Amino acid sequence: MFHRSPIQSFARHGMLVLLCVLAVFPLYWMLNSSLKNESEIFTSSIFPHKPVFSNYTYAFTQMPIVRMAFNSFAVSIMMTMLQLATSLLAAYALVRWRFRGKGVIFAILSLTWLIPFQSIMIPNYVLVNDLGLNDTLLGIVLPFSVSTFAILSLYQSFQSFPGVLIEAAQIDGMSDWSILTRLIIPNTRSTIASLGILQFINAWNEYLWPMLIAKSMNHAPLQIGLRLFVNSDTNMWGSLMAATTVSCVPILLIYLILRRQIVDSFVRFGIK
Amino acid sequence: MSQSLDNTIAPSLSGGTIIVRRRLSKKKLRRFKPYLYLLPAVALLSIWMYRPLLYTFYLAFQKWSMVPGTSPVFVGFDNFEHLFHNKSFIDSIGNTIFYTVGLLPFSILIPMILAVVTDRMESKSKNFYRAMFFIPMILAPVSVSAIWRWLFHPSNGLVNYLLVKLHLIKEPIAYFSDPGFAKWIILLITGWKMIGFSTIMFSAALTSINREYYEAASQDGAGSFRQFVHITIPLLSPMIIFMLTMSILFSSQWTFAYIDMLTTGGPYGSSTNIYYEMYRFAFSSLNAGLSSAAALLFFVVFGLIALGLNMVSRKFAFYDN
Repeated sequence: MFHRSPIQSFARHGMLVLLCVLAVFPLYWMLNSSLKNESEIFTSSIFPHKPVFSNYTYAFTQMPIVRMAFNSFAVSIMMTMLQLATSLLAAYALVRWRFRGKGVIFAILSLTWLIPFQSIMIPNYVLVNDLGLNDTLLGIVLPFSVSTFAILSLYQSFQSFPGVLIEAAQIDGMSDWSILTRLIIPNTRSTIASLGILQFINAWNEYLWPMLIAKSMNHAPLQIGLRLFVNSDTNMWGSLMAATTVSCVPILLIYLILRRQIVDSFVRFGIK
Repeated sequence: MSQSLDNTIAPSLSGGTIIVRRRLSKKKLRRFKPYLYLLPAVALLSIWMYRPLLYTFYLAFQKWSMVPGTSPVFVGFDNFEHLFHNKSFIDSIGNTIFYTVGLLPFSILIPMILAVVTDRMESKSKNFYRAMFFIPMILAPVSVSAIWRWLFHPSNGLVNYLLVKLHLIKEPIAYFSDPGFAKWIILLITGWKMIGFSTIMFSAALTSINREYYEAASQDGAGSFRQFVHITIPLLSPMIIFMLTMSILFSSQWTFAYIDMLTTGGPYGSSTNIYYEMYRFAFSSLNAGLSSAAALLFFVVFGLIALGLNMVSRKFAFYDN
């Protein structure tokens, strides 16, 4: 099993490299097209002969890209923070105490796996509308302020936290609140950070709900602004690819820096 | 418990009653504490998940256009009857099954092979490959759709250009307006995005397999294919069932964005799925009742499927203890 002929190993790497190309080629083509000028965009050249940035300048004049990027960051950070806060508290309660109704709580949490967003979108839309939050960032954030996925993930990680430490802290007279904030949270930082990254990426890529709520480009996250642009301007492929490139850059940068942690957090927590 | 304590201790210690009481109220507070910590999460879940779910079930039996100022009217089972006479809805069920089954190779078969192939490489190249496969997973559906729409563009797309150049097709194909192609393209894009994630999940599951099984098997003369069938697959079965559950429950949500971005369900409803139809009933036809009826129906259907899969997992998944 461990001694392979060079030919076998060569074939194996060849296949994997081919698959890697398939995985990232669309991204390359996006970048390549975004740098081509008007006459070159409709050719299949692998490199732009004369790279131009006119597509980017056009895209920036057509859409408030900076504003939309800010919206995306604001929405994603708010969602992530709220989800982490609510799930830290809830997971702590579930790990720390035995209490009446714990089974019911778990049932409530687990059952949300069966609720697709499409089956709750109408009442949520009506509520956000009634609150006057249609076409606002807060309206996008609110329904995603709690994540059962985050609660159950943290619950699992907290369970492996040594109970002896908690008991010792209790004997030292630490309050329940400081056991959470001064003992458990500092010692599970990396887990919480991984979960935060994951929730940030999910929030950044959220589709259906922001699409329903964001009506104007000024109040839209990047993705939704891009969607409006794609659907309005069908033949400006150069600038469309430029705008798409811009929308991918933040996430790709985060991935480049935190690759290990991102992959680990997906493995640890899965997806929802 | 605390009540009896109060009765036994309080009378004998006249001066100590206040302390005892304070301690008791602290104890009572302690009993409420877990609920206090759970309150934000449970309150928000009730407002944004369970209240709307129940409201949707209520709306399933009402007729309502969601126009402000109007209110729902009770219509009994009318919405369900309309649902089963709605051709686009019936078609969408077929497509949903198509997507669900079609995604299985991308979420289970290919990733399992990739995970096994990369498993025994040195960690540098292993991590490189896995990191590359993973990139599509983190990209936003809108960006992904924009790129693929350009690649599959009917007259100027790279895919058509290459296929014509290689003489595989004579005329460029309009992929997104051809009923025969549209849903295949959507399946392909969704699958392309999923492979990296599943590969990493299977890789993680593989690292927990005890190497001694393979050594024993190869000493007994089992080749690598037989080792894969008799050792790897049984030990990966919990992960296989997990990915199967995820695929079945979520594939309709994974394809949603691509359907909306690339074909809006067309041509002639050939690429739509049930969740997209629910969205269209609600926000294009303004028929909240019909959308809610579909939601209620599929909540029950997926609930039963999840229950079944849970039972399968208990019965067949093989755990190495």
